[in-house]
Amino acid sequence: MSSPRACARWLAWLAAAAGTAGCIGSSVVATEDRLVVPRLEDLQFTPAAGLQLSGLYESIEVRGDAAVSLRKVYYLFGPDGSYTAAALTEADGVPSFQTLNGTWRSDEAGLSLDGGAPVLLEQAPEHLRITAPNGVLVLRRGSLQ
Amino acid sequence: MTARLLQSLGVVFVLGLVAASFGALLVLRDRVRIVVQQDQVPAGPDATALLRDDVLVLTRRTDELQAASAANFERLGNALEQRAEARHEDVLALRAQVDRLRAQLDEQRSAVDALDRRLQQAPAPNDAAVQATDPVAAPPPPAVAEPAPAPVADAKSAAKGTGFLSFTLPSTAFHFDAPQDYTLVPALCRVGFDAKSTLHDFTGATSNVAGHFRADFDDPDGAWTGEVTAEAGKLVTGVDGRDSSMWEYLDAKDHPQIRFEIVRFRPAAGGVDVERQTARGDIVGRMTIHGQTRELTMPVHIEVDPQKRVVVTGQAPLKLSDYGVPVPSQLGVINMQDEVVVWVALRARVQAETRK
Repeated sequence: MSSPRACARWLAWLAAAAGTAGCIGSSVVATEDRLVVPRLEDLQFTPAAGLQLSGLYESIEVRGDAAVSLRKVYYLFGPDGSYTAAALTEADGVPSFQTLNGTWRSDEAGLSLDGGAPVLLEQAPEHLRITAPNGVLVLRRGSLQ
Repeated sequence: MTARLLQSLGVVFVLGLVAASFGALLVLRDRVRIVVQQDQVPAGPDATALLRDDVLVLTRRTDELQAASAANFERLGNALEQRAEARHEDVLALRAQVDRLRAQLDEQRSAVDALDRRLQQAPAPNDAAVQATDPVAAPPPPAVAEPAPAPVADAKSAAKGTGFLSFTLPSTAFHFDAPQDYTLVPALCRVGFDAKSTLHDFTGATSNVAGHFRADFDDPDGAWTGEVTAEAGKLVTGVDGRDSSMWEYLDAKDHPQIRFEIVRFRPAAGGVDVERQTARGDIVGRMTIHGQTRELTMPVHIEVDPQKRVVVTGQAPLKLSDYGVPVPSQLGVINMQDEVVVWVALRARVQAETRK
């Protein structure tokens, strides 16, 4: 039924397919790449003792026990030593904002908020990292629109 | 002589007077009536009656005073009782508050201890900012190690503060070995399948994932509940034409959801490490694809990331034909295998509970 010409056409098609198969690489995602991994920016944090803070910062990462209920933090530091801040927390499935107004001080001992015990303050370009007893906060400089 | 005469005259005179008096008495005996008359008193109210009235008034007033006093005493007693109850409640509330404060203090002490331990064990933590990668993207470049942070002796002292950087957090408690509710973070989740075909193998995946579950990772009975759903019409393989064919095969219009209902967790022997917060085992559940439901057991690995999210990864083979999905074939030459490997890579956040 099939003519030699038809057979030849099929063979050519198969050869082309086989060749194409060799050209098309597998697009299977490797097992270790399946998980959505937060991309780590190459931030090199250095101690920022005495850093004079100013401007808006928003959190891009919360680590440690604080991350259980803390979702987002905004700080607006004033050069006069005042600050205002808001934190989005979540408990029992209900998110809510807390707001603060207070004072900050940065010296060799670290960053002190509202006269509290100083905590470790580090900096990277456009970023801050604050290490407190029950969590680590990474902040990125923002801008007021 | 004269004196004697005068004495005799005096005696005679006295006797005469006595005799005259008796005589007069005898004459006037029937005409004399002696009446003892009461002294006349000034006109006005009777003193006794007045006294009686006064007594009655006083009695009445005493009764009234007694009644009023009884009521007042009763009121006073009630007020004292209420105050005592209020005080009692205050004391109970204070005790509860003290207990809460003690619990918080213990929690903060534990956090400080944990931080100390972590700092001792991890001299060079790998910290950096976060951005989610695109689905089916190449793996991100490895992070550059950073110098170790300075000792946090200063930070440790901040534990005495009111919370985290002046904020009061509703909870910082994460319990790997207790029942907790978890919610998937879609932006950090991905589910998919790996398929083999004549030409080349490929992956279909999506981050359009939702779900929740309740789990105690240390529960030997693995009494978990929950579900994970994915949008069939959002699965992508990286080739547009293949995607549209896949959606047709899956009948994504009529069966838009792929659903996995968690029935229970079967921990592997020695697969749960509470201290390291990792677990291995099989999740047993019911998978629904193309409107067909079949039981599916998926071996999984569970861990907790630094952001206190639970990471669940696993995979299991299944046959498309079991779910009524036609196995794609092009001209009978380019064939896809019936068996595919479905996999999950999920991150779920614990639902924080208010401190009690």
